[in-house]
Amino acid sequence: MTLALRRKGRLYRSIAVMTFKQYLAYNLWFWVQLLGQILMMTVFVFFWRAVYAGRGTVGGLEQQQTITYILLAQMIAPLVQWGQILPMGDLVREGMIAIELTRPVDLQERFYIETLSSLGYSLLQQVLTVGLFARFVFHLQLPSDPAIWAAFGLTLLLGNAILFCFDWMFACLAFYSTEVWGLHVVREGTVMFFSGALVPLVMLPGWLQSVASWMPFSQALYTPVALLSGIIPAAQAPQVWLVQLAWLAALAVGSRVVFRLAVRKVTVQGG
Amino acid sequence: MPTIELSHVSKVYRTIKKDSGLRGAVKALFRPHYVEKVAVHDLSFHVDAGEVVGYIGVNGAGKSTTIKMLTGILHPSGGSIRVLGRDPHRERVANAREIGVVFGQRTQLWWDLALRESLNLIANIYELEPARYRQLLAEFAQTLELEELLSVPIRSMSLGQKMRAELAATFLHQPRVVYLDEPTIGLDVMVKERIRAFIRDQNQRNGTTVMLTTHDLDDIEQLCQRVIIIDAGSVVYDGPLSTIKQRFGTFRSIAFETAHPLEIEHLILPLGTAIASHGERALEVRFDRTVTSASQVATALMPQIEAIDFSLAEPDLESIIKQIYAGTHTAALREEVLV
Repeated sequence: MTLALRRKGRLYRSIAVMTFKQYLAYNLWFWVQLLGQILMMTVFVFFWRAVYAGRGTVGGLEQQQTITYILLAQMIAPLVQWGQILPMGDLVREGMIAIELTRPVDLQERFYIETLSSLGYSLLQQVLTVGLFARFVFHLQLPSDPAIWAAFGLTLLLGNAILFCFDWMFACLAFYSTEVWGLHVVREGTVMFFSGALVPLVMLPGWLQSVASWMPFSQALYTPVALLSGIIPAAQAPQVWLVQLAWLAALAVGSRVVFRLAVRKVTVQGG
Repeated sequence: MPTIELSHVSKVYRTIKKDSGLRGAVKALFRPHYVEKVAVHDLSFHVDAGEVVGYIGVNGAGKSTTIKMLTGILHPSGGSIRVLGRDPHRERVANAREIGVVFGQRTQLWWDLALRESLNLIANIYELEPARYRQLLAEFAQTLELEELLSVPIRSMSLGQKMRAELAATFLHQPRVVYLDEPTIGLDVMVKERIRAFIRDQNQRNGTTVMLTTHDLDDIEQLCQRVIIIDAGSVVYDGPLSTIKQRFGTFRSIAFETAHPLEIEHLILPLGTAIASHGERALEVRFDRTVTSASQVATALMPQIEAIDFSLAEPDLESIIKQIYAGTHTAALREEVLV
C-alpha cells in the first residue's frame, strides 16, 4: 500500500515537474503574455477609476475594494482562461490520443496533475510579475491575516478542481467534433464573464447573479478573490467550502461518466 | 494460452458523409448521412509467446486498425480479442502496462524535453524500480547508441535518432508484447540494421512477443519466422515465410533486350511461361520452374527475337508479395489456408 502510494507519488511528481519544464521551454510566450496582462490590468484600473468618478459606491462596493478585486481577478484570470479543450483537440486531431491511451495512466488523472502543476506555475509567475507590478504601481492592498490566506488557498484549490472537472467534460467534446477552436472561444467568453474576471459578480443585476451562481465558473475565480479582497467575509469560508465540495462531487462524477462515453466514441473516430 | 488471440473480429467505421460546400456541411449537420466502412472483417489468428510475426498488407488493408484494437484504443465491432488473457479495450490500462507500442509516424516522447527526461518520466509511468531503470538505460544507451542523444530534446533529433529513442522508450518497461507499426519507415539502411538487431536481441533475450507491420520486406526477412498477410480486412495468408518463398518462388523471370522492335503478337511462348512485361525492345518472361527451365525458355525464344542481352532474375519476396497483393494468388493462398 505504502509502496504503491510512493510509486504514485513519484509518477505525479514527475508529471508535475515535466509540465513545469514544458512551460519554461516557452520563454517568449511568457513575456508576450506578461506584457498583455499588464496592459489589461492598467486599462481595467483606469476604467474603474472613471466609473467611480464622483460616486462613493458602485453596486455596494467602494472604489478601493473594487480595484483590489479587479487587480486580483486579473492575476487569477490566466488560471481559468484556457481550459482543456484545445490540448484535447490537438490530441484527437493529430491522432496522439492513440499514444496517450496506450499509457498505463488514467488520462484524466494525468491532465489533473498537469493542471495542478500549471496552477502552481502560473500562480508563482503571476505573483512575481503582475503581482509586484500591481503592488507598486497601483498600491494593491492585501490582508495580513494568514488565516485569510489559507482560506484563499483552499478555496482556490477547490475552485480549480471544480473548473477542471467542468473543462474535462467540455474537452471530451473534442472526441465528437473537430471544430475545437469555436468551442474554445465560446467557453472562454462564458468563463471569463461568469467567473468574475471582468466584473465583480456582486455588481451584476440579481437575475444575472443567479445565473452565475448556477454555473461552476465563479468558484474558481470570484469566490477565492472575493475572500481575499474582503467582499466575502472570512467567517463565511466554511459555507463556501461546503458549496464547493458539492460542486466538486457532482462534477467529478459527471466528468468520469462523460470521459468513459467519449473514449468509446474515439473508438469510432480513430482510424 | 496464446499471447494474442483474435476470433472473428470485425471493425466497421461509421462516418458522416458530407456533400461539398457550405450547403453540404449544413445539411450534414441536420440530416447526417452515415457511411459504413468495413476496415476489418472476420479476422482470426493467434500468436504465441515469443513469436515475431510480420503483419503485412497494402495501405488500407486493416493493419493499423488491427494494431489499434490489440492495444485497446479501438473497440471491435464484433468478435473477441484477448491479449495475455485480457480484453484489451475493457482493461485498457492494465493491458497498457504489459505492452509496448511504436506508431512509426508518431512519438510517445515529449517533444520539448531532453530524451533522458522523457525516459525518466516513462520509467515512472511504468513504475520501474530505479536500480533496474538505471541498468536498462545504460544497456539501451549502448545497444541503440543513445549516449549522446540523452541530453537532446526530441524536436531537434533526426528521424533515425528519434526512432532509436522511441524504441528505447517502448522496451524500457520490458513489455511482454510489443506492436511495431512501421518502425523503419523512412530510415536509412544503417539505422534499419541497428533497429532490427535491437528488436531481435530483445526478442531472444526476453522472449518478447513482437507483431510488426511494415512495407519493408527486409524487415520481414530478417526478423520474422511467420507472416500474416491481410487484404481487404481478412487474412489471406498465415504461415512461415519459407512456404511463401517455396511456393511462389517457383516463378523465375528472364529479361531480354532485343536488337529490333518486338512483335509481341507473333511470339510463340513455350509451355509454363507468360509475358511479365514488354517494351519496344525489351521483354520479360516469367516461367514456372517446375514445368520448364531457363535454358528451355531461352532456346525457344532466342530464334524468334534477336537478343543482344538477357538476364535471369531470382524473384525476391517483394515481387511475390506484389503478386499476392495484386490478387494473382489470393485464391490459391486461400485454399492453402483452408487446408
